[in-house]
Amino acid sequence: MTQTQTPNPVINPKLIVPFMNAVRQVFKTMAGVETTVQKPFIKPHPGASYDVCGIIGFSGDITGTVSVSFSDSAAQKLVEAFAGAPLDRSSPDFADAIGELANMIAGSAKQHLGGLASISVPSVVIGKGYTISNMTNSQCLVIPCGSPFGEFAVEVSIKQKTV
Amino acid sequence: MEINPSEILQLAATIWEATLGLCIEPDVSGSFGNRPRSTAACIHITGAWNGALLLDCPVELARRAASIMFDTEPSKATVADLQDAVAELVNMLGGNFKALLPETCYLSLPAVVEGGDYSARVPGSKLLGRVAFICDGNAVSIAILEKMEAKAAA
Repeated sequence: MTQTQTPNPVINPKLIVPFMNAVRQVFKTMAGVETTVQKPFIKPHPGASYDVCGIIGFSGDITGTVSVSFSDSAAQKLVEAFAGAPLDRSSPDFADAIGELANMIAGSAKQHLGGLASISVPSVVIGKGYTISNMTNSQCLVIPCGSPFGEFAVEVSIKQKTV
Repeated sequence: MEINPSEILQLAATIWEATLGLCIEPDVSGSFGNRPRSTAACIHITGAWNGALLLDCPVELARRAASIMFDTEPSKATVADLQDAVAELVNMLGGNFKALLPETCYLSLPAVVEGGDYSARVPGSKLLGRVAFICDGNAVSIAILEKMEAKAAA
């Protein structure tokens, strides 16, 4: 999988740092592994580069969506570490695990974003060759991450309501 | 919470007619089979009620909707146009459905998936109901899911 990067005009660190910290914390706590976080960049166009995607919606003072995306193999290994047993990707428990992971990352980050926001139940998309579009007017920031399970990405497309 | 399928169908009929100028009719076939390509749009609701609306729409209808909304030839509508059109439809459905809910609820922004080989789930939720209808020869489905509090901590 590859990501095409565009020159980054401005990335608001206040929106990025909570998610970077949340990824490290959740993977360490729930899967017992260290993760690496690479340089974020602005996603140039909609599209999925991964096979398994957990999406969380934000509403309230902060609106938008955050997604956590994995390749099939990375997702399988992560879910096995998370759940304590291998799960078939077609199993509802597999989607539950991915959704729960996305929920934890979004929930952990939300506490440090400032403002009052609610996070939704997660949506999980599993497949090949699909595209996901997050209907926000804000940029989509991609945080590439690495783990012993493989590469994955956190995509943040949120904005804070101006008073 | 219980939902009235007729009420949801009426919401959809109003939105489809007002936005697209298209009529819908209930799909009584009971089948919702696989299609080559589809768009699925999801909008979440939080607050006094927590759940989601999923709108599943064949690509052909999404293309027709995009051509109507953006005044373009169907063949020239891009994937982004299709996604924008379906996002707008689910946004309107979500907004109208929210009006039926106890106060205070908030809508998320929609997320739209387009492809031919995917499945979309909302873990930790239960299906309250599904409404199926036909529009312009295409089968469309709206599913309403409610967050299961007991499973939220799993």
